[in-house]
Formats: sequence, C-alpha cells, structure tokens
Amino acid sequence: MDINTKKIKKNAFRVTKVRGMTASRVRVPGGHLKAEYMGVIQSIAEEFGNGTVHITSRQGFEIPGIPYEKMPEVNQRLQPVIEGLEINQEKEGCGYPASGTRNVTACIGNRVCPYACYDTTAFAKRIEKAIFPNDLHFKIALTGCPNDCAKVRMHDFGIIGMTEPQFEPERCVTCGACEKYCLKKSVKAIEMVNFRPQRNTEKCIGCGECVLNCPNRAWTRSREKYYRLTLLGRTGKRNPRLGIDFIKWVDEESIIKIILNTYRYVKEYIDPTAPGGKEHVGYIVDRTGTEEFLKWAMEGVTLPEKAEVSSPLYWNGPKYD
Amino acid sequence: MEVTIKQEQLAFLFEAWKDDYVIYGPKRFADDGCFSDTDTIRYGEISGPEEIVFDEKSQYSFKEALLPAYQTLFYFTEDAVKEADGPEKEAIVFLRSCDLHSVKRLDEIYLSNGPEDFYYKRLREKIHFVWMSCPEVFENCFCQTMGTDQPEDYDMGVKWEGGMVKIDCRKKEWVSLLEPFMKDKDAVEAKAPLRNTFEEGAGKDVRIPESLSIDVAKSDIWRDYDGRCIACGRCNFVCPTCTCFTMQDLFYSENGRAGERRRVWASCMVDGYTDVAGGGSYRQKNGERMRFKVLHKILDYKQRNGYHMCVGCGRCDDVCPEYISFSDCINKLEDAMKEVSADDE
Amino acid sequence: MMSNEYIPFLSEIKEVIPHTSIEYTFRMTYEGDVKPGQFFEVSLPKYGEAPISVSGIGDGTVDLTIRKVGKVTNEIFEQYIGARLFLRGPYGNGFDVADYRGKELVVMAGGTGLSPVRGVVDYFATHGEECKGLTLIAGFKSPEDILFKEDLKRWSKTSNVILTVDAAEPDELAAINEEMSPVTVHTGLVTEFISKLTIGSMESAAAVVVGPPAMMRFSIAGLQKIGFPDENLWISQERKMCCGIGKCGHCKIGDVYVCLDGPVFNYTKGRSLLD
Repeated sequence: MDINTKKIKKNAFRVTKVRGMTASRVRVPGGHLKAEYMGVIQSIAEEFGNGTVHITSRQGFEIPGIPYEKMPEVNQRLQPVIEGLEINQEKEGCGYPASGTRNVTACIGNRVCPYACYDTTAFAKRIEKAIFPNDLHFKIALTGCPNDCAKVRMHDFGIIGMTEPQFEPERCVTCGACEKYCLKKSVKAIEMVNFRPQRNTEKCIGCGECVLNCPNRAWTRSREKYYRLTLLGRTGKRNPRLGIDFIKWVDEESIIKIILNTYRYVKEYIDPTAPGGKEHVGYIVDRTGTEEFLKWAMEGVTLPEKAEVSSPLYWNGPKYD
Repeated sequence: MEVTIKQEQLAFLFEAWKDDYVIYGPKRFADDGCFSDTDTIRYGEISGPEEIVFDEKSQYSFKEALLPAYQTLFYFTEDAVKEADGPEKEAIVFLRSCDLHSVKRLDEIYLSNGPEDFYYKRLREKIHFVWMSCPEVFENCFCQTMGTDQPEDYDMGVKWEGGMVKIDCRKKEWVSLLEPFMKDKDAVEAKAPLRNTFEEGAGKDVRIPESLSIDVAKSDIWRDYDGRCIACGRCNFVCPTCTCFTMQDLFYSENGRAGERRRVWASCMVDGYTDVAGGGSYRQKNGERMRFKVLHKILDYKQRNGYHMCVGCGRCDDVCPEYISFSDCINKLEDAMKEVSADDE
Repeated sequence: MMSNEYIPFLSEIKEVIPHTSIEYTFRMTYEGDVKPGQFFEVSLPKYGEAPISVSGIGDGTVDLTIRKVGKVTNEIFEQYIGARLFLRGPYGNGFDVADYRGKELVVMAGGTGLSPVRGVVDYFATHGEECKGLTLIAGFKSPEDILFKEDLKRWSKTSNVILTVDAAEPDELAAINEEMSPVTVHTGLVTEFISKLTIGSMESAAAVVVGPPAMMRFSIAGLQKIGFPDENLWISQERKMCCGIGKCGHCKIGDVYVCLDGPVFNYTKGRSLLD
C-alpha cells in the first residue's frame, strides 16, 4: 500500500493507529447543520467505515475504520454535505482541503439559547469565509454570552457575545428583578437609586440578565451587537493558558480584521522550522513581544467608540518547558 | 355609518386625525424582545395603518394608554405641591374586543371603586376607542368563555374582510371623515355593531366552576406554583385588567426637597406587594400569590362587581417564562373544589 | 374642576407626645369629620406616604400615633412642634360607637393596635352610662413598649383595664407596676385573660380585637370559645394601603378593600378574609 500521508491529511483524512484504515473528518462550521447530513454521515459510516461515528471536540464528525482505497468513494458521497455546509472546496467530488486553521466552533447561540446575544453559527460562518482555507494553526471559537459554554478562552481568538442594555425609564416599575438577577447571576453592576436601576457601565459585562428578567421591556437589547474578544488562550504541552480580555464592546468588522491581520503577522514571524508548519500564535507572540503583535493586529482597525482595549496584556498559566 | 374601503385607504383617516389626536395601536418593536433578535408587539404611538399589527396578538395590552406604567402625580417642594399636567391632545386607541371589554374593568376600579381617580379620569375623558377585528382566535385566547369575544361601545369599528376593510363609525364627529368613501352603494346606515367572525367554541375551553368559592384556597393545587412561579409579575404587567400601582417619591437631588410623587404599576406576584411598615408581609409563597391573583380575576371581583374581571385574552399564558397557564389553572378548580369539599366531610 | 384625592394638604404639628423611644403621638391640626380607626396618608415629600390611624380626635386636631419603622416614619420623627406634614384623608370606615352602645364591651389590643381603638375605649371610659361595662385587655411586648400610659391609668378609674406584657424581669415588672399604679401590670399574652372575663350575656356583648395577625387570630379563637358569636366580634385590619381610595390594590383581601370597606370589619365578614 502506497499512501501519501501528507496529501490525504490535507484532504481531511487521518492516519489512524489501525494499519490500512483511515478516518474521514467532516467539520461543521459553527456547529449547526441540517439533520439530513447526519443521514449521509451515517451511510458512509455503515458502508465504508466500521459503523461508528465520533463527535469531535471541535464540532465535527470523524468516521473511522474506512479502508484507504475507499477515500474517493467517500469523497463522492460527502459532496452534498460539503456543499450544504458551504465548506471551501477546490474540486467537486474530491472532498475538501483540510487546513491548519481549525474548525470555527460555536455554542448553540441565539437560534435556540435564550441567553445568547447573537447568532453564533452565522458569525462563525462569516469568519470561516474570511479565513478558510489556511494552513496556519489558528483556533477560533464563538460563544453567545459571558457564560462561555463554548470555552472560547481556550482559543487563540475567543468571541463572547454582549449586548448593551438600553433603559427606558417610562417602562420601569421598580420590581427589582434586574438588580436581583445581576447580583445573583452576574457581576453586581445594577443598583437601585431613587427607585430606578443604575447600571455601572464599567462593571457591566453585557450578559443581558437585566434584559432577560425585565418583565416590562424597560431593559432591552441594543440594536448593535457587541462582543468581548479574548486573546491567545491555548492548550498543549508547554504552557497552556486561558485567553485574556483584549477588547470589550468590539464589533464584528473589527474582529474579522484583527484575525486577518494576525494571519499576516504569523506568516511574517512563524518559526520556519516548526514541525508541520504549525506553531501556536501565542508562542510567536511570546517571541516577538506583545507590542509587535499589536502593531500588526490593529493595523487599519477602526474600533467602535465604545470599545475598551485592555492594556497591558499579560498571560498566565503553568510552564512546563 | 358603515363603509367598506381598501386597507391602504385607512391612511386617509390617520391623516385626518393626526393634528387632533395621539393614536395608539399594537405595533412591532424590532429587537425589543428579551431574547436577542426577537421583536415584541406592544402598544405605541402610530402614524399610519401600516404600523398596526393586525395578524398577531400584542404581548402587552392597550392599558398603558389609560394607565401608564409610570405616571407623575404631582411635583413637590418642601411645602407646596403642583399637580402634573394632563395630556393636551385627545387620544385614539386601536384595540381588540377583549381589550375593549377590559376598559369597563378599569373604569370600575378607577371611576367607581371609591372616589374617582383624577389622573385616570382625565385620560379617560380624552380617549376614543377603535375596535379592530381579530383574524382568528389566537393561541391561549378564551374570550368566548369570558363573553368578551364581541365588541361593545366602540367609537369606530374596523373589520378586515377579504382584503377590504369595513368601517363602522359611531362617533358623530368622525362620520364626515368617511364621506369621500360614501358612494351610495358602499355606504349604509349601520344597524348592529360589527362582529368578529369566530367559530362557535373556538379558542381554549375554559370552565369556571359554578360552585367556586374561597374555600378553594385550601386546595393543594396552589402548592404546585410555589416552586414553579418565579414571581416576576409578567402576568400582571401584560394583563389588560390588572390595575394595581405603588406610589413613589422621587427626589431630584440628595439635599433638596424638590421632587415628584408618582405611581408605577405594581404586581401582586412580585415581592414587596403586601409589605407593611415594620417588616410584616402577607402571601410569601408564590402559590398563595397565584391563588390571590386567579381568584381575583374569576371569583372575588365578580362578588364585588357582578361580572368577572378576566377578559380571556390569554396574554398571561403567552408571556409566562415558566409556562404557567392561568387558564389551565382555572380548569383545575373544579377538581380542587371537590378536593376541599371532600376534606370538609 | 375635578377633585384630586392624591393632592395632600398641609397640617401643623401642635404637640408631640412620646410613649416609647419609637412611638410618638403627633397631634396635628385638622378640621373636619373623622372617626377613631380611620386613617390618614401622612407624607413628607421625598420620603413618601404612610397610612397612619387616628388615635385621638380633639378640637381642630387629630392624634396620629406613629411607630418609627420605615423611611417615612423615621423622617417624621425628625420633625418638631410647628413643623408641617402633608396629609390625605381621613380614609376608611373607622369604628362606629353606635355598634357598641348599650353592650358589654371588651376591647383587646396588641401593641400599636391600641392606637386605632383608643378613641372607642376613651369614649366609653368617659361615657360609662352608654355601655354595660368596658373591659380593655391591652398587651405589649415589654414594659418599655407600653403606649398611652396616662390614658390607661385614667381609664382604669371607670373601666376594667387589664394591662399585660409578654415578659419582664422581676425588677422591671416592679418598676413598671409602680409607674402604672393603680393599674396592675401582668405578664402573659392577652389571650390568657380571656377566660377570666365575666360576660353577663353573650348576645349583648361586643368585642373589638386589634393587633398583629397572630394576636388577632388567637384572641378571636379565645373569644369564640367563651361564647362570643361572630356577629358580636369586630376587628381592624392593618394592610399596606398606598392610595387609601380603592385603586392601588395592595390592601385587597378577597372581595374587600381594607381602605374602603375597612379597616374595621364585623367578624362575620372578617372571618372570610383570607390573605
């Protein structure tokens, strides 16, 4: 058997521990898909694989136990899924080019979850369109609200939904729900003064608890959607760490621009000898210094007026090397 | 006077009204919902017929036009008070049959139950009602049970029928506005008021037991709500017949005595409603509050005034974040009465 | 011009009579009809309103006995003779002395519950010929909480006054007995004295019970037990009364509004009132 492992990996197949057997990997941008594609995945698993499917930690499917020679047939079968999920593709019927940049993951978002401040899948897809395919090793995740169910702080870029609560005094009946829920479930940013809630704008994290719990639409969501962008969290062997706050009250445009800028920065500074051409962004920043990174990342970015940029940036986490 | 016009011709009326009236109607407030990317339909000022949402139930009722959620009563200084000004313009409200029936309930409390309420009365005297038909009996509606499914006493009725709009004008001052549309064949002297076209028995089947009495308070059904209800008060705030308020003194500065006394809506479900000075309070359990509310709507208001308070709009069911259904609760009362009378024996 | 019930009028403090550290009677200027047991909405702009029952009626004055327990009443306690408060009212039905005329009257009062009923007690204590005897059972938490001490002494001359405190140290009890002489200060709950009542005819007796909810519940039960028919029992309910005029809803119990139909209820109605 003669297999170009480099080539098949770039075609979303894996070299598995079972000789002669590969696994097909299907990523689901934003983690939400039509149920009919599950049927396709099921049929591939049953006809070509070992009848099982693994749900990956990055919101994809991995179909193991496929003989290498079945790869072309599997790719054919995957075609409607690739089209339906709008995954980048070079040639129809030949699978899709897997890349260093990982699937952009998202929590279920506001299509379902009451807490979510935006459509996480839609924004994930928008980011995906801007960055895919790309060989550089980037991890991006989106979560609908500061609960961070998607654990975005373990990613290079973490995007946390925020809403800026809007207050209509004429509709406030002083029921105290906003104060109570902010106190119990969030950051104690609301205090009743003169029978009216007063929101501490510095403390407020834009979670929307006040809006969710206001019984009379005195608190509503801002028309604009805002985000908290967290930076350079990572897992791995040497120095795992949580992403830190970078910009609060940032907009979608700026986030995309910053991510694209970071790709340019990484291209410039990546260790040319890095195995597989992959190096976590954070290690590159450790090497160049944060100032240099920021110079690149913020180039041409015009932040909204509300945006608050954290400074200085400092990461923590255990060091094992 | 009854005429039939095209829907877009309604704009003509708005044009004629706009200088003399503030017009309220159920309209869509985009992204106003508590969840992101959701709208609410509630009452607000409207400038044209296209803003009125006809095909959905409004989540909040018309009542804020008569009973604002927040109302300044007077301004004060250390030893003088000055009454807050009333509205300059008259008002027109577009509303459904259930809401129109609730006006009678609001009047009962604010004009009859004890002395007249100055602030309510001065709004009430300047308000005119335009009934609008319902395209269907909406989810959770039980107006037929409550006898509120057909309008009474409107200034104008507007009924949508096959792309056209039938208008029945009862207010003399407005009849002339309709003259441009009065070709002989279209205009007729209206005999009976317009009616909703509902199927008999449409809507939720809700039964208030004949035998219902305060004894039902002893039933165990209320305990279920102790844990389910979160005491948020949404059911009260959306209700077209809930009338409670609380007074507040707002001061303009920490040192001075200048400020205003106002009233804001109150909810018998929310903490603090029964607090008396010194820390006492009644109905601490949410199930007790549910019982108090339910029995007010379908028992004791009637004992006092001769007809039920609830108009069956079902908005309390629609809005409850915990999926507590007021009408399902009513339907449990028959068994609850059997339970308490069995206990007595 | 429509009348506006919400606009208060100014009333001057003519006299301040302290009873305890947190209970004072404010004698306020007021001309107009008023009955004991009715209440006024008393306010200081910026601090809000509080319903306060009428504890005495004089010539051009009303007495408002106020307990310092909240934002409004705290501030009222900062006021002195000559200062002016805002009033609205009087509201509520109040006590009607005609209901008790010619009867053997028992009044049971717990704590500040003595305020609304003080006018009734005072009336029959000074017009003894209009009833067939008056017994007042007044209970307070401790000797320090006793209200209307001079009145109690005065009433004891013409009526049967039973004064009791829930508990007291022996030296405290001795001191208060000395102060209250000739009235004896007992220890124990008011309910403990019900069995000692000697009522000639239950049919021509009347009892008025005013106080905290538990005290009222147990006192009523005690009076029923010795034979008082419900129609001869009267209670006064304390509730949150924001508007005083049947609008705000806070004081509604069942089909009654305490501010309009009460606060005084005959027990045939009162027994059906379930919070």
